Amino acid sequence: MEIQVAIIILLIAVIVAELAIYLIATILQLFKINAGLSVVLPLVGQIVTKTNPVNPVVDDINANLVVTRDALENLMLKKAGPDSAGLVESLFPGEGAKFLKRVNRSGKVVNVGTVYTRGVGILAGLGRGAPIGVAHAKGAAVRDPKYSTSEVAKLYPAPPDRRDPTKNIPKAPVIGKDPVHSPYEPVLTEGTRPRDAQGRKVETPPPAPPAPPAAPQAPSGAAPGAAPPAPAPPEDQLGRLSGKGLRPWER
Amino acid sequence: MADAALWIMVIVLAVVVLLLMQLLKRVLAAATSIPAKIDAIAGVAAAASKDLDAVAVLLTTQGYIGSIKNSVLDYGGSLNAALPDY
Repeated sequence: MEIQVAIIILLIAVIVAELAIYLIATILQLFKINAGLSVVLPLVGQIVTKTNPVNPVVDDINANLVVTRDALENLMLKKAGPDSAGLVESLFPGEGAKFLKRVNRSGKVVNVGTVYTRGVGILAGLGRGAPIGVAHAKGAAVRDPKYSTSEVAKLYPAPPDRRDPTKNIPKAPVIGKDPVHSPYEPVLTEGTRPRDAQGRKVETPPPAPPAPPAAPQAPSGAAPGAAPPAPAPPEDQLGRLSGKGLRPWER
Repeated sequence: MADAALWIMVIVLAVVVLLLMQLLKRVLAAATSIPAKIDAIAGVAAAASKDLDAVAVLLTTQGYIGSIKNSVLDYGGSLNAALPDY
């Protein structure tokens, strides 16, 4: 046998061995891949099953939100008129133009929050006669950052009746321990209670007998029907009285 | 002449051996890299499947949104009656 034939046989043997080794290793890897995919596929199936109802639910939620948004926008258009976009812009910057586009309106969006002090626009809208209500939205800003609350208070400084000094309307009552201008009249007669604490009707009680004449030694501030005061303790027993009399260490 | 043909065949076979080895190496490398990626995908899929357990709560959210819509519409109707038009 010639040397070339021997080399050829050897090379063919190498090729066959090479094919066998690598292909067997590849087949083993394919088995691993198969096992791995058998684990992954059920998990993917779970994902598909769990995400299946998401689309209709989200569509329903979106539909409800759109209906609510449209209703509120229409309400705002009805109540705030051309200021609606400015109100939306003041709450959600950048949304005023989109709001106008949605409601098929056009015009410049004036951010109400940068023109009016907070609350002034609402008061003006409610009062109609407030001075800020007559200002044009395109005019200069009326917001006074230094005295903003004072500006709000000036919208309704006082009721019209109180502005007339000839009417001499007293000031608002001061609620306290000893109000100077008490709005309540003193009680001159005893009150009657037509129902008791349980809500049952109470028959009209007979008129109370006249009170006995007060003892001459009674203090002037005591009630007319009160019992005569207890005799004063001796000097050596004087001390701080508690609700039940003398304290134990003072007896 | 026959010798030359045999030598050429030897050379061709040697080249085939080298090329075949390279190709098979690449196939094996590619096949070896796949199981690790599948294991990673399995972990991610398991986590995603667990996360999607919260999708059931979306049904509750759907009910809440419907209730909120009705409440807002009722409130809007009240405002419509209470506030003057522009």
